[in-house]
Amino acid sequence: MPTGRHKSRRLRRVFKKSPGGKTNLCYIKRKPGKAKCATCNAVLKGIPREIPSKINKISSSGKKPKRPYGGNLCSKCMRLKMISKTRIGA
Amino acid sequence: MIEVGRLCMKIAGRDAGEKCVVVDIIDNCNVLIDGQTRRRKCNIKHLEPIEKVLKIKKGISHADIVKEFKKLGLEARETEPKKAGPKPKKQIKKKVVEETAEKTEKKVESKSKEAETKKEVKKTEKPTAKKEILKKPAAKSAKK
Repeated sequence: MPTGRHKSRRLRRVFKKSPGGKTNLCYIKRKPGKAKCATCNAVLKGIPREIPSKINKISSSGKKPKRPYGGNLCSKCMRLKMISKTRIGA
Repeated sequence: MIEVGRLCMKIAGRDAGEKCVVVDIIDNCNVLIDGQTRRRKCNIKHLEPIEKVLKIKKGISHADIVKEFKKLGLEARETEPKKAGPKPKKQIKKKVVEETAEKTEKKVESKSKEAETKKEVKKTEKPTAKKEILKKPAAKSAKK
């Protein structure tokens, strides 16, 4: 029977084949959801979906676009914000 | 609206939010810009004009734009890249290379000596074996 902490549904159940030919059961953590725009709720591009132990190994240039409000707003919303800055003033 | 000397702000790209001046008109769609951004062509749809027009000539150089921007209180972008400093010399690695070279030389010498001794031993063994085989049938025939 599985141990108590393995009965949780926060863990995925995956069957993996070992080099010897046997199949074993593995409990794997689930990935987080996709990043969304703060104003229009659209899915953002260029942001990987990984658990924290793997995201810490990626460099900062591989985690978000190199643009002002890169991981926060989509490109359309960012353009509207820049236009409002020039017309209204700061 | 978009004319030579008009101050604009860039809306799109990684240099969004930076101010620039229209230097030359290329097309219905494209325009040459310079200022806080790099000197390159840009789409008119990616520019938002500001209420100011500078008195400059067509195709002005970058050095003159730096002076014009200083009067407004803005800093233009530096185009020359930084010069690289002298590389530090590593002396520790040379000693390791010398030691390994000496070791490999010793190994090669020892291997060649072993090969020579082996060849001598083989030469001495072979003729004795042949002589014994030749002697035995002669002894047997003599007994019969």
